[in-house]
Amino acid sequence: MEAPLSGSMTTAPERWLTALLLTCLLAGCGTKQVVVQSEFPDPVMNPLPLTLGIWYDDDFANHEFFDEASGRAESSWLVNTGQAQVELWQTLLKGMFRDVVFMNGKPGPGQMNPVVDAVLLPAVDELQYAIPSHTNVKVYEIWMRYRFQLVTTGGEPIAEWTMPAYGKTPTAFMQSDEGAVRLAAIVALRDAGAHFATTFTRVPQVEAWLNSLPRAGATPVQP
Amino acid sequence: MTPRRLLLGALLVSWLTGCVNATVDQMVFNSPTEGMGDASVVILGRRHASDYETEPGFISCVGKHIGARDPAIRVIDELEFLNALYPWFEPRTAPLRPADLEKLFAHRDVVEKFATLQTRYMIWIDGSTVRGDSAGSMTCGIGPGGAGCFGFGTWSDDASYEATIWDFTQRAEVGRISATASGQSYMPAVVLPIPIIAPVQGTACDSVGDQLLDFLSTAN
Repeated sequence: MEAPLSGSMTTAPERWLTALLLTCLLAGCGTKQVVVQSEFPDPVMNPLPLTLGIWYDDDFANHEFFDEASGRAESSWLVNTGQAQVELWQTLLKGMFRDVVFMNGKPGPGQMNPVVDAVLLPAVDELQYAIPSHTNVKVYEIWMRYRFQLVTTGGEPIAEWTMPAYGKTPTAFMQSDEGAVRLAAIVALRDAGAHFATTFTRVPQVEAWLNSLPRAGATPVQP
Repeated sequence: MTPRRLLLGALLVSWLTGCVNATVDQMVFNSPTEGMGDASVVILGRRHASDYETEPGFISCVGKHIGARDPAIRVIDELEFLNALYPWFEPRTAPLRPADLEKLFAHRDVVEKFATLQTRYMIWIDGSTVRGDSAGSMTCGIGPGGAGCFGFGTWSDDASYEATIWDFTQRAEVGRISATASGQSYMPAVVLPIPIIAPVQGTACDSVGDQLLDFLSTAN
């Protein structure tokens, strides 16, 4: 009777080969994790003559997106953009406004915070992604929808609006799905910064507020 | 023996590339009349289309091609330029027509940045390389005795690019170049797969680069 194939019967190269094959087979089933990290350029623009406060809540500063695989052949995705979000908005806002101050706590009645003209509270409402295996188009895409609140230090609303951002990157030789999604996310973040920088003063509620300020009303601010 | 082997290898590699057909069209509206001096050139990819994107690698290839053939022409790296003028040349905000430059130059900081970079020509490249029809089949196997493949595969690649040249001093479009290239690649496999790749994108890069070089060298 022939002995069953067991650990003791296999040679070392065969074991390695089996392990390699198993790894290859299982590679498609795990979660693909992307941590988006990047440096962003300072915006080239005349700063608005305002002191802006910023408050990032935990959901924003640690923002991550998880998409569970719908089938065995697909992978789950975990895209962490929190660190890059904070990096982008800090760099952008410091270039857009004369002074930027980070708040001690979320603006509201009784909360002690530095004196500023207004406080910006950014949030990521939604994030979607698409990869070539989903769309049959040879680009990786990231789409985000931001929600911004501009409030007084006491927490009273001045303006609230949403803003989309989109980024894509083409497929490239020897580029992994994770690397391409990371690049697409960086393009989307740059797009968010560009969109915000060029439209902030044109948001109707923001425009009305800027015109109501004594110093801004005299000389309308342009991005 | 080693040099002979190297020569044989080089000959084999050159023989193992697929055939590529390339066509180039050039239209120059305003031929350069004066030298570029210390001015620089920037080559940027158009990235507005939803279903394709001009490959950053292609833009880099054209820039390197020009820089290698004529070191007197200073080509600014695409990312360096985009970062230096952020957020005005992102896909959402980039000027689509030379007339849009006037609006951009209304910003004092942008004008100062351009003066620092000394950019005279801006070259926009729009297009992509796509994989066309493919045929054939190949099977690969692995066993305790070894591994190998058997079969034959073939596919075609098509590249189509258009370069538009803007002159900052005239605030006008001064030239347009289009290049198309197509080629068939093959991969026969008897134990080992042997890729015979047609350098379609590389040929398109050389074609666009040569035409741009012709234009810019006249200005130089």
